[in-house]
Amino acid sequence: MAIINLKKKEVQAKIVYYGPGRGGKTTNLDYIYKKFRSRIQTEMVTIKTHGDRTLFFDFLPIEIGRIKGYDIRIQLYTVPGQVKYESTRRLVLRGVDGIVFVADSLSVRRKENVLSLKSLAGNLASYKKSISEIPLVFQYNKRDLLNEGIPLLPVEWLEKDLNSKLKAPSFEASALKGPNVVETMKKIIIMTIESLRKDLT
Amino acid sequence: MAQQKDKDDFRSQVEDRLEHLFREDSLEATDERAGLVEHPLKGLKAVMLSIDWEITDSTMDSLLNEIKNVEFIYGEDKIILTFLQLLRSIGRYVKANKGRAHPEATRLINSVYESLERVALTEGMSRPEKEKMLLKEVSKFKKLKERVMLRKAEKQQPVASEVTPPPALAPESKEIRREEIPVWKEAHEEPRPEGRFSEMSPHEAFAYALEEIKDVIRAEFRALRAEIKLWRESK
Repeated sequence: MAIINLKKKEVQAKIVYYGPGRGGKTTNLDYIYKKFRSRIQTEMVTIKTHGDRTLFFDFLPIEIGRIKGYDIRIQLYTVPGQVKYESTRRLVLRGVDGIVFVADSLSVRRKENVLSLKSLAGNLASYKKSISEIPLVFQYNKRDLLNEGIPLLPVEWLEKDLNSKLKAPSFEASALKGPNVVETMKKIIIMTIESLRKDLT
Repeated sequence: MAQQKDKDDFRSQVEDRLEHLFREDSLEATDERAGLVEHPLKGLKAVMLSIDWEITDSTMDSLLNEIKNVEFIYGEDKIILTFLQLLRSIGRYVKANKGRAHPEATRLINSVYESLERVALTEGMSRPEKEKMLLKEVSKFKKLKERVMLRKAEKQQPVASEVTPPPALAPESKEIRREEIPVWKEAHEEPRPEGRFSEMSPHEAFAYALEEIKDVIRAEFRALRAEIKLWRESK
């Protein structure tokens, strides 16, 4: 749930990058942080395990600025992807306003994508939120590996597996190299702020 | 009508702000490495990507098989062969220990592969540069080995942890076999994987086997001395 302070005219929205482990959630935030550090002027917080895996979450606040008289702040979070951290994922989802589902395009990760999306739906339901109603964007990550001859899932399969009912916007991306990382983020920010707009008037 | 206009205006303001904040006018980082499409590391890279947090016998076997394939292709390149030897050693250790493996091992396996890929695919990289990268990974490997040995020694001595023996005196780790640990001089010598044994002349094979036996006996004695020291200290 976004924090909207009508008196101070401040809005703080929470967007969570969700998806299977090793799918590229942290890499998305890393890319944004490294590329636009001088403009966003905030610090990224990350807590990792020894093996460079996300332990709790990554956190990147972004000041969007004043729109229609409101100071808008976006908080980007990632969840740990490893199966064993289900309770942490649920905790990070608390108060979420928008979600980017980062699917792993590797052929061997097909099952993990589906399981992760199910876990997302279940965790949202525990907060009385529906996956079909919350602002949601799919990102099919690691598409650059196609050029390297690595077997990837066709986008049509990913769409069928994950997005056939939800019909959410989706992007083919490479979090490591950058294509569509920013577009994904822009899309979810716009969708999220629009969903909050009715509370601002 | 007015409501729709207000909505559009609001959306366009958000879009403009985001466009301003995240315009991609700075240069993308260029990757000077050649592509992997027809490159011999393609298979190895695919295996590296499939090694996940759930490390299985199957993925680790694939890694070891791919290392053999790449080794065959790069039979003449001693630097690459040493990188592969490092990968094999860590791969075997991770396969044997899986979840019990030192957390640093999975990070190192990725780091060694990254360096290998850079050395193999960067056009125009000089030999000293390649050797420097290799040395860096060998040094990390040695540090990992010391940590593994230390951890093992600590496990064997839970009560008297304040008198942890220095790594040099710790019992030889059974998790990383001594003969698998590449030292820098091996970058300049022919690596000695088992598959090459048959390629040696009889006297070379005999000398190699003799060295192996000496190494094993030395390791056993070191372990025995460390055990005796621990036993005396516990008295």
